[in-house]
Amino acid sequence: MYMYDEIDQQLVEQRVVQFADQTRRYLAGELTEDEFRTLRLQNGLYIQRHAPMLRVAIPYGMLNTSQLRMLAHVARRWDRGYGHFSTRQNIQFNWPRLEDVPSILAELATVQMHAIQTSGNCIRNTTTDHLAGIAPDEVINPLVWCELIRQWSMLHPEFAFLPRKFKIAVSGALTDRAAVGVHDIGLQAVEQDAQIGFRVWVGGGMGRTPIVGKLINAFVAWPHLLTYLQATLRVYNLHGRRDNKYKARIKILVRDLTPEVFAEQVDKEWQRIKDGPDTIAETHVAHIAARFTWPSYDPGAADADDQCESHASTDPAFARWMRKNVHGHRQPGYAAVTLSLKKTGVAPGDITADQMDAVADLADRHGFGELRVSHEQNLILADVRRDQLFRLWRELDVLGLATPNVGLLTNIISCPGGDFCSLANAVSIPIVKAIQERFEDLDHLFDIGDLDLNVSGCINACGHHHVGHIGVLGVDKGGQEWYQVTIGGRQSGGAGASGGSSTVRGGGAAIGRIIGPSFARDQIPDVIERLVNTYLAHRDSEVERFVDVVDRLGIDVFKTAVYDDPHLSHASAGRAMRLEAAGE
Amino acid sequence: MSEQDGGSGGPNMLRDGQVLRDETRLFDPQGAQLDAASTPPDEPGWVVTLSTWAARREAFRSRQHPVGVQVQPDDDISGLSSADSGIRQADLHGIAFVAIIFPVYTDGRGFSLAQRLRHEYGWHGEIRAVGDVLIDTVHYLARCGFNSFVLKEGHDPHKALHAVSAFTRAYQRSYAVVSVKRPPS
Repeated sequence: MYMYDEIDQQLVEQRVVQFADQTRRYLAGELTEDEFRTLRLQNGLYIQRHAPMLRVAIPYGMLNTSQLRMLAHVARRWDRGYGHFSTRQNIQFNWPRLEDVPSILAELATVQMHAIQTSGNCIRNTTTDHLAGIAPDEVINPLVWCELIRQWSMLHPEFAFLPRKFKIAVSGALTDRAAVGVHDIGLQAVEQDAQIGFRVWVGGGMGRTPIVGKLINAFVAWPHLLTYLQATLRVYNLHGRRDNKYKARIKILVRDLTPEVFAEQVDKEWQRIKDGPDTIAETHVAHIAARFTWPSYDPGAADADDQCESHASTDPAFARWMRKNVHGHRQPGYAAVTLSLKKTGVAPGDITADQMDAVADLADRHGFGELRVSHEQNLILADVRRDQLFRLWRELDVLGLATPNVGLLTNIISCPGGDFCSLANAVSIPIVKAIQERFEDLDHLFDIGDLDLNVSGCINACGHHHVGHIGVLGVDKGGQEWYQVTIGGRQSGGAGASGGSSTVRGGGAAIGRIIGPSFARDQIPDVIERLVNTYLAHRDSEVERFVDVVDRLGIDVFKTAVYDDPHLSHASAGRAMRLEAAGE
Repeated sequence: MSEQDGGSGGPNMLRDGQVLRDETRLFDPQGAQLDAASTPPDEPGWVVTLSTWAARREAFRSRQHPVGVQVQPDDDISGLSSADSGIRQADLHGIAFVAIIFPVYTDGRGFSLAQRLRHEYGWHGEIRAVGDVLIDTVHYLARCGFNSFVLKEGHDPHKALHAVSAFTRAYQRSYAVVSVKRPPS
């Protein structure tokens, strides 16, 4: 994990001073509401339904245990004893008081944390593969490059007031776990002629207009990464639409210009600044790499008898957890472990202060004092000795963090929804709970196999519903909550993942297709069940996943299966709407 | 009247570390119903739009008192120069300063325009931020190449002077690191 140098620390501290003064001026009436809004947003502070919401940055999802303990402290002292991990690998507190935020930021700065650019129309927290640096299928370790981008984007003087928010993701593995295809810029680290570089995808994104990113440069050699990003951002900053916030993301500019013309404009801008002062030097990379602490693995771990198989043969619960929550590691004798924050009845991504402290203790004992946040809103212990897995599992089980559902239907990505968010059209947490309760039978859940189910409370798509194999979206119709269902979305790994076909591009991401008219809240578990049963009836074998069957058969068979049910048909939903509208 | 005199209102401008009163005024042929070919009198303090400048560049250049040129965020700044990109740098003479307008402070195009002026056009003269300019934006503006700031009402230029160096370190190497010489207090 990257450790701050003097410059990093000074910048974060100066930001605390700056924001404390801005808050004071706002409270004293020296800054208007309009003037303060963007300033507070650039420090992660929203005004939400109940109270301000503070989003704290976790750069590319990496966290150490002193930071996690600080987050627990913040949750206890200034919030209601819990936090919420978001799909950008950040953490959110839903109940702080505005007056307290400067103090919170000051405390966070003592453990090298901040809330800079976690919101607002600026470059947001760069995200990456939660298994970066340890995945067996990794080609290039993206972490040092993520840190370079983190530094370059932080307090960037030219790009603080973009037309709209801007998200960058980096992947360095064969399997794209960073969803580079649905980011404003997706970077895929590759090697070409013995040199590291990046494929650059631009204009992907979800929200109102879901689009898979377009490849605008097949190889930008590493020294030129930052100048290429600068050129891309400059074209967007000057030419992105500012007249309509729904058309202001870079994806609209790329679409309107065509990817080819956009790429030409970027290239023209790039030629002017390429080889300039922001060109990355080898010494610069070395300086940053040297500030990373890397785990000192015990070579003896490879030969230790981990006894996992014998434990698994006698304990089916452990066996299930091993299958779903334990992941391969490039270091022999080690594994990565997902701590599922998707227990039924707990809002996805939520974690209590007590759990944070307990997880910090576990990470100190089993994970070199570090952990990761995944964009699927779980925590990862990235470097666990295999011979400690059984012990760790028992401890996690007591904490309620061993739900064996990673990759399965109940590992639902969800935004906080209408219970907390003022943008939401509909609640999402109660929907998630109802679905999890319907699929509580673990044998059935395991039989269904890998299935990404994502829920968003509104079209802003914070719950990534577009790339769920099944997506659920809250919509507003005449003041009522309704839910639209999509199938066939995926965050990566589809056909032509390397840039082949016209329908599936980016890291092989695909946008789900709407199956038909929306449903009432209490119909959703039935709809999901119908979709799943249709899949089970049509799959070739257990190896063929839900999304594979949707790809093979198309959506019609699923659509028919759902809407043939009189309780779920459009007529019935329409009637339900009329009845509700009539107040019955 | 020089800017240093302070004028009728209080100081509202920062320039190269000095707190001043902005006394410039915009020459607006349409608004004043003047002949489109007319130019402002040859005296200090006039600002013209980019299109006015582009239309009568040579006339403006022969003045004793050069004009400032006002640039809107959606203006095509290639109109500042009559030359092709190769010799642009030599073609910006006769301009007192370039004033980039911020209709709202969240419109960030002016930041990129200033960068282009500095690096693509080689403009070493004054770049002035005008419009919705806050104490809170002068640091980024200064890093992007602005060296004068007409602050909006309610934003004290003395406080802005301190805010210019709100951050004393920086990551981005192609942008200025701001260290302001403050006048002795």
